[in-house]
Amino acid sequence: MSRSTLPFPYSIKRHGVSLSNCDDEPVQTPGCIQAHGLLLALSLDDLIVRQASEHWPQRTGLALNQVLDQPLAAVVGPDAAQRIVHAMRTEVLERNALYVLTAPLPHPLCQDVPMDFSVHQADGVLIVEIEPASRPGDTVVTDSDYYSMVKTTLVRLKSASSLSAFCDIAANEVRRTTGLDRVMIYRFHRDETGEVIADAHRSDLSSWLGLRYPASDIPVPARAIFKRIGVRPLPDVDGALMEIVPLLNPVTGRQLDMTYCALRGASVMYTDYLRNMGVAATLTMPILRDGRLWGLIACHHYAPIVLPYTLRAAAEFLGQVTSLEIASAEGREHLEYRLKLEAAHHAVLGQALADGNYAALTDGAPSLLDGIDAGGVAVSENGQWSMAGATPDVQQLTALAAWLTLHSARLADGSTVIALDDLGREYSGGVDSIDCCSGLLAFPVSQRSHGDWVIWFRPEQLQTFQWGGNPYEAGKSTGEHGTRLTPRQSFAVWQEEVRGRAEPWKPVEIEAAKNLRLLMLDVVVARAEQLAALNTDLVRSNDELDAFAYVAGHDLKEPLRGIHKYAHFLLEETKAGRPLDAHGRERIDAMLRLTVRMDSLLDALLHFSRVGRLSLERQPIALGDVVAEATDMLGASLLGRDIDVQIPRPLPTISCDRIRVREVFANLISNAAKYNDKPQRQIEIGYLDPVDGADVVSTFYVRDNGIGIDTKHSERVFMMFKRLHTRDAYGGGSGAGLAIVKKLVEQHNGHSWFTSEVGVGTTFYFTLIGAGMKQSGA
Amino acid sequence: MTPLVRSDLPPILVVDDSDDDFDTVSIAARRAGIGNLLVHAVDADAARRLLFAVPGVDYAFMLLDCNLPGEDGLTLLEEVRRHPQRRTLPVIVLTASINPRDRDAFYAAGGNAYHVKLVNFEEGLANLESIFRYWLTHVVLPGADTSSTGKPPCPRTCP
Repeated sequence: MSRSTLPFPYSIKRHGVSLSNCDDEPVQTPGCIQAHGLLLALSLDDLIVRQASEHWPQRTGLALNQVLDQPLAAVVGPDAAQRIVHAMRTEVLERNALYVLTAPLPHPLCQDVPMDFSVHQADGVLIVEIEPASRPGDTVVTDSDYYSMVKTTLVRLKSASSLSAFCDIAANEVRRTTGLDRVMIYRFHRDETGEVIADAHRSDLSSWLGLRYPASDIPVPARAIFKRIGVRPLPDVDGALMEIVPLLNPVTGRQLDMTYCALRGASVMYTDYLRNMGVAATLTMPILRDGRLWGLIACHHYAPIVLPYTLRAAAEFLGQVTSLEIASAEGREHLEYRLKLEAAHHAVLGQALADGNYAALTDGAPSLLDGIDAGGVAVSENGQWSMAGATPDVQQLTALAAWLTLHSARLADGSTVIALDDLGREYSGGVDSIDCCSGLLAFPVSQRSHGDWVIWFRPEQLQTFQWGGNPYEAGKSTGEHGTRLTPRQSFAVWQEEVRGRAEPWKPVEIEAAKNLRLLMLDVVVARAEQLAALNTDLVRSNDELDAFAYVAGHDLKEPLRGIHKYAHFLLEETKAGRPLDAHGRERIDAMLRLTVRMDSLLDALLHFSRVGRLSLERQPIALGDVVAEATDMLGASLLGRDIDVQIPRPLPTISCDRIRVREVFANLISNAAKYNDKPQRQIEIGYLDPVDGADVVSTFYVRDNGIGIDTKHSERVFMMFKRLHTRDAYGGGSGAGLAIVKKLVEQHNGHSWFTSEVGVGTTFYFTLIGAGMKQSGA
Repeated sequence: MTPLVRSDLPPILVVDDSDDDFDTVSIAARRAGIGNLLVHAVDADAARRLLFAVPGVDYAFMLLDCNLPGEDGLTLLEEVRRHPQRRTLPVIVLTASINPRDRDAFYAAGGNAYHVKLVNFEEGLANLESIFRYWLTHVVLPGADTSSTGKPPCPRTCP
């Protein structure tokens, strides 16, 4: 029967067994209440009874016409009516049933029976529910110990370190409070099946912990109603149903909305279900999380019971507390897991970073398998796979990665992590061969189309489904009202083998995968930059080496050509039988000169190449001493020239390589003296004051009053064997001095440059960086 | 055997910082029997003065060493190619550098031929002689007057 042909007005009593689909049942307007209580529905403005449950005559002796269309006071007595009116003025009753008083109804058949009155408003109607009050000896909590009980419960709940511990405590507390035979925490999975995750029960009952129930066991309308109410009592499964008279409210023209009624009549399907399970009474509280129905606290009792307002209120409160605390309990559990995952991932990635490759992700201790709970993990790096645990083989992985690349491109939400718990259903390429991995959690390491992947695998979860009864057994049967739905008869544990599915990935695991991906991307980017820098360095140093080799080659060949030429001439003379004359002796002199020149070029070349290779020996060096040594070393070559070396202020002590810095000064002082045509050659050695508040002196200079250098040569002067002047001008030279200076300074992480004015003088500057020391007045 | 230097023949500009190498060039010129004056510049600055400051002298061609003190030969070649009066001057590079980069850079800058200096004196000499013969005998140099006969002029070195 489809929704459109539902009988109207509806009553469980009349139509409840004719339903073909539980999801159609109008559970909010069942048209009936449970027989243990009485119900009145009144118009709000005049408090005239408009609807009443049909058993008022049997219970009170009043005829229905003495109830319907009568003022409230005439039906419940003036005292109760006054209390109800007071509650309406002072309390919020809309969709909120409140206990008002306990008193007998002032009618012959029931005037000795104390009744609990509770009232609420819904759909513009005042609903009064009247139930027998608890009697001495009933398992009921009184108002006085209610507070201390709840307080104890709260403290216990907050002490739980894991979700399962929390649920155990919640179940036990509810059972302690209500005294019911079985209290279960029932959790809805993503597929809406339910699982018993905590079970506190009478010691003679068997545990239902871990049992699963199909989604259809709690129909959609029931789930919807559980989002709106705090507690659902059904004290007697076998209790009769009493219809509301009339079914349609004469004022609203609608059926009475009984969503918030404790007395609301239960679906026949539900009572049959419970009866088949042997359950006689139930009390159910929803567990809501973030507005979603997270689960239920489901209480079963195996005999009918009285569930008075106080007890229901306590149970409802415990349900609400559980709802409020479950988030933090889950959070605590997730936090613990998340911290574990983060620690493992950081350790693994740290090792990978130190190694310079991803091997540690699969082979390290820890590896990724010590993080997210998985059966195997596979990582590709430049297309090369490494695996740990149970994974597909390389060929299958390559195909899978290609599919994942396509799959991820299809993900419209820009998800970067793919989480599947039924890979076989999504991925058609070789399901059979990938039975070790029904679940997959994966992310691409790079954004490239043929990028690398990190993939966790989870095995098929074969044995996990322990159904409470065979979920496929429920069906239609022919009853007295024709074909009707019946719940299944057996609730014995029924195992189902579910193939091709793995345990779903937890949000905290997906989050951890996302974080790992970000960390890895950082590493990838850092490595790419490092490689690019290395590459640039390598290209530059290759270029330099190349250029250097050519320069060295042709500079060294020059004297060689000369030697060859003079030897050739001498040979010609000898062949002609001419004796060695003055001209011939000049040629031999030239050859000797050229060999010496070649020797000095080779020395400079070797020195230059050694300068680049030896490592620095830094120590605190007083530069004043170093300059004095350099000047002494140059003494011979500077001899006979009128040279004035000035050091205007004492040079500092800095951390540097003594020998090398001495060579820098020696070269610069030598140049300053050589390339100078002034009668009084002046050289000044000093340092620049640190800029920008730095307290480390790093820039030094050697200034002369020499011939100056055209600034167009500013780079050329530092090139190997490059001279600005002809062969023998200014005392000759190999052209290696400034090239060596530049290299020595670069080894101190510094650089060298000059300022000059032709004919006036030149100042060479250089910086010595690193392990700087404070200026000392030495 | 030594030919007389003839004033009616355009001089050849030799830019080389090495006196030894210039001496070799001179020997080769003598052997090739050319009568053109060899003008020696020891660096780019000297060559620049000769080329740009004395515009009246037409050179047959320039023999240029790339490895000069100060500014190198390539810079000088570029200046020649930019100069309105000297842009057509044939520039023959004679250098010790076998660096392909140097070679390509010279051709790209408009050099006419690239020769490598050889260590073997005789071979180097032969190389230079053939350069002289080729450029002074077979090549029609820019600025040569061909209008009177319609034929290539008699090589200027012909006696």
